[in-house]
Amino acid sequence: MNILVCVKQVVLPGMSAQSGSRINRYDEYALEEALQVKERIPGTAVHAVSAGPQRVEAVLRRAMEMGADTGIHLHVDSGEELTPYQAASLIASHVRANRYDMIFAGVMAEDDLQMQTGPMIAALLDYPYASAVIAQEIRPDNTVSVERECDAHRRQCVELDLPCVLTVQSGINRPRYPSLSNVLRAKHQDIIRPEALGREVPRARETTIRTFAPELHPRGMFLEGTQREKAVRLLGLLHEKNFL
Amino acid sequence: MNDGIVVIAQHGENRADPLTYESLACAWSLCGGDAERIRVIVPGDRSRTVAREIAAASGFAVTSVESDVLTTYNADAYLRVLGPLLERTAPGYVILPHTCIGYDLAPALAVKLGAACITGVEAAVSGNERTGFVRTVSAGKLSAEVVPETATAVLTIQPGAWQPLDIKPGSAGAVDTVRIEAGTGRSRTTGFKQAEYQGSALADSTVIVAAGRGIGTQGNLALIHDVARLFPRSAIGCSRAVCDAGWLGYAHQVGMTGATVAPKLYFAIGISGAVQHVAGIRDAQMVIAINNDPSARIFARADVGIVEDLTRFIPVLMEEYDRQQGTTTGTEEIREPRAQENSPPPGPVKR
Ligand SMILES: Cc1cc2nc3c(=O)[nH]c(=O)nc-3n(C[C@H](O)[C@H](O)[C@H](O)COP(=O)(O)OP(=O)(O)OC[C@H]3O[C@@H](n4cnc5c(N)ncnc54)[C@H](O)[C@@H]3O)c2cc1C
Repeated sequence: MNILVCVKQVVLPGMSAQSGSRINRYDEYALEEALQVKERIPGTAVHAVSAGPQRVEAVLRRAMEMGADTGIHLHVDSGEELTPYQAASLIASHVRANRYDMIFAGVMAEDDLQMQTGPMIAALLDYPYASAVIAQEIRPDNTVSVERECDAHRRQCVELDLPCVLTVQSGINRPRYPSLSNVLRAKHQDIIRPEALGREVPRARETTIRTFAPELHPRGMFLEGTQREKAVRLLGLLHEKNFL
Repeated sequence: MNDGIVVIAQHGENRADPLTYESLACAWSLCGGDAERIRVIVPGDRSRTVAREIAAASGFAVTSVESDVLTTYNADAYLRVLGPLLERTAPGYVILPHTCIGYDLAPALAVKLGAACITGVEAAVSGNERTGFVRTVSAGKLSAEVVPETATAVLTIQPGAWQPLDIKPGSAGAVDTVRIEAGTGRSRTTGFKQAEYQGSALADSTVIVAAGRGIGTQGNLALIHDVARLFPRSAIGCSRAVCDAGWLGYAHQVGMTGATVAPKLYFAIGISGAVQHVAGIRDAQMVIAINNDPSARIFARADVGIVEDLTRFIPVLMEEYDRQQGTTTGTEEIREPRAQENSPPPGPVKR
C-alpha cells in the first residue's frame, strides 16, 4: 500500500504563521488512520503532503515525527491562502505523477471550515471518495469498506474501489504522540521537494472580498463586575428563574 | 453568472426533507422575484411523489431525475447522473443543504462543472454588483463574504440559515421526469447503520451542564460536576472535542453528530460555539455561556454571557453558593464585596 496523507498548516486566531501555527487536527486523525494501516499491512508506506509556502514544512516535520515515512512539499508562494480547489489541483497533479492506493485527508480544515479539498482531489483524479469517515477497513479484494458519519443516529456504509480518497472525521482513532525515534529521524531526514517546473496554481474560482467580526450578542446580556459579583448575579438569576 | 438556479432536493421515505424547503427559500431569495429561473431536481430511483409535493408547495418547476443507481445517496452515482445533466443546464447556482450529503457532493460536483464552491453559507448579500455569500471562517471567529468568479457556483447552505420557503403559489409547478441509465460505479452504498446512540438521557433533561475543550484537562470535569450539583436534576453534556479527547463518552456529546437537546437551561462552559455544536441546542430555552474569550461564537447564542476563566470562576461561584446556603438559605441578597476586591463599581447589567 502506498498512502498519501494531505496535511494542512492552520493558523488560528491569536496565532502567528511563524510561532503558533500547527497541523490541522482533522489531518492528525487522517495521518493516524494511515499509520494504523501501515501497522496492519506489511509493505505500506505513508507519505505526508502539503502545498504552500516554505512555512508549511513545519507540519510536514510534525507528520514525520508522528511516523510518516516521507514529507512532500509542493512549494508555491503566491502570497495568498490557497483555496481548496487550488490546493486540490496541486495535490492531484502530484498524485498523477506518482502512484498511490489511497489518499487520506481531514474532513475539514479548522481555520476555513470548508470541507472541500478531499472530495475535490477525488473529482480531479476521477477517484471514488467518501467524506466524514468514522471507520474504514481495507479488504483483500482491493476495496475499502467505510462508514460515514451522517448524524448521531445514522452511518452510511460505502464500499469503494481502490484507489480512492477518504476524508477522516475526528474521533475515528486517538492520534499518537511522536516517538523519540521518529523525532530523531524527522530531524535528519530531508523533506522531498518535487520539481516545481510547470507547477501552476490555477485561478481561484471564488474570492473573499471582506472578512468581519460577526455580531456577537444580539440575544443576551453579559454579566459585569468582579468574579464574585458575577457569581452573585448568576445565582440570583438562577433563583429568579426557579432553577435552584 | 449564468441565470438558472438549481436546487438539489434532499428527501427520504417519499417526502422532501424539511431542509429542502430552506434550500428553496435560498433560491427564492436569489432569483430576484423571477421564479422561472428556479428548477428543483429530485434525484432518486422513483422520486415523482416528492417532485409533485415540492411543485405543489413552491410553484417551481421540478424534475424528478430517476436512475436505478440512485436508490440511496452515493457520491459516485450522484456525480455520474447529475454531473452531465447540470453541465448541459449550466445554471448560475446549484444549491444543496450543508449536510452529510451536501458537503460530500458539492465540492466534487463543483470540480465537474468548473464551478466555484462555497460551503456552509449563512446569508446572501445582494445589492452590490455581485452577490456575495457569508460563511464562517477563522475557526468561528470571523465571517467572510465570498463571491464566485465563475459562471456557475455550487453552494451548500447551513441548516437554519434560511427559514423554510413559505409562499402560496398560484398553481403547482410543472413536473417532468428524466430517466438516466448509469452503469455500476466504483463506489457502492451498501446500507445505513444505526449508530450506537446513547444520548437519549440528555434529550429529556431540563438542565444540561456542558463542558468544552476549554476545560483544559479531564480533571477539570470536577468543576463541571460542581456546577451540575447546584441543580436538583441535571445532566452532563459536552462538545465533540471533549469526547474525541476521551474525557467523556460519546453519549454526552451534543450537536449535529451528537444529541439534539431542548433543556430549559443549557450551560456551555469552555465551548466555542461551532455551528455543529450549536445545531444541537437550537431548542434550548436559556443558554448561559462561560468563556474567557469575549469574541467566542457561543455568546451569539447565549442569553447570559460570562467572560471569565472557568477554572477561577467556578470555584468562586461554588464558594458564593455555599456562603448563601450557610447564611440565609434561599435569599437573593446581593452583597458587594467591593472593599476587599478593589473592583470598579458594578454597573447595571449591560445589554
Ligand atoms: C462533520 C462534523 C460534525 C461535527 N459535529 C459536532 C457535534 O455534534 N458536536 C460538537 O460539539 N462538535 C461537532 N463538530 C466539531 C466542531 O466543529 C468543533 O470542533 C467542536 O464543537 C469544538 O469543541 P469546543 O467548543 O469544546 O472546542 P474549541 O473550539 O477548541 O473551544 C474551546 C473554547 O474554550 C474556551 N476556553 C479555553 N480556556 C478557557 C478557560 N480557562 N475558561 C473559559 N473558557 C476557556 C476558548 O476560548 C474556546 O472558545 C463537528 C465537526 C464536523 C466537521
